[in-house]
Amino acid sequence: MKWMQFFTPVESKDYRETQEMISDHSPEDITILDVRQPSEYQESHIPGAVLIPLPQLSDRMSELDPDKPTLVY
Amino acid sequence: MLSGRGFNQVYNVSGGINAWEGKTAVGPQALGMELFDGTESPQDFLKVAYSLEQGLHRFYLDMADKARTPAVQALFEKLAAIEIKHQDVVFDTYERMDDAVVSREQFDAMVEKSALEGGLTTDQYLELFDPDLTVEKEVISLAMSIEAQALDLYQRVGARMKNTDSAAIVHGIADEEKQHLERLGKLMDTL
Repeated sequence: MKWMQFFTPVESKDYRETQEMISDHSPEDITILDVRQPSEYQESHIPGAVLIPLPQLSDRMSELDPDKPTLVY
Repeated sequence: MLSGRGFNQVYNVSGGINAWEGKTAVGPQALGMELFDGTESPQDFLKVAYSLEQGLHRFYLDMADKARTPAVQALFEKLAAIEIKHQDVVFDTYERMDDAVVSREQFDAMVEKSALEGGLTTDQYLELFDPDLTVEKEVISLAMSIEAQALDLYQRVGARMKNTDSAAIVHGIADEEKQHLERLGKLMDTL
């Protein structure tokens, strides 16, 4: 069994690039999306991150702006 | 999931929160490939769906073999067992709609013939995500990432299916995946 078929194409940003993206945008012009569980979010999260746990994401996409750059973790 | 729904600038934060906290970082970006073109018959779709569920089952069994603690091993075995149930749903659906009488073994053999090519092996997949197999949370997180990809795949396929019978089946299986994902989320919350 091979697994690449499960992946949609998404570019990755490392820590430095993520920092740069966040500092290059005003908070209202970028979405930082945390898809982990609420308990994990409470433990720590990237400042400004919106929490939408993965199981809820497909139903709650309308809460996000598709035109904004979106950093997901 | 987002990139298939009109979000054109989606970026994965490599290594997630761990990388942010400076603990670790992983690199390569994942590429995608489509399995369905939207014109498949319900039967064709079910064969591909079955092979995906079969693949998930084998993947979890592989992971159970690699697990370093009994608790994590048990968890993978449980996840593998759930995939068998998903395969049951797919096969039941196939049986109900196909006039030809096909045994489960025959169906398995038909699906084997359309085995998927290209992509990542289990070991490559593990290398990409580098999960700590001694940590239950990391194991569940990995499982959730796979299930979310499967859910996304089914939802995107369902939206594109021209055949309404096929679309209804795809949506039904997508709902199953969503419930599965929710169960994993609840399991994560108990740890």
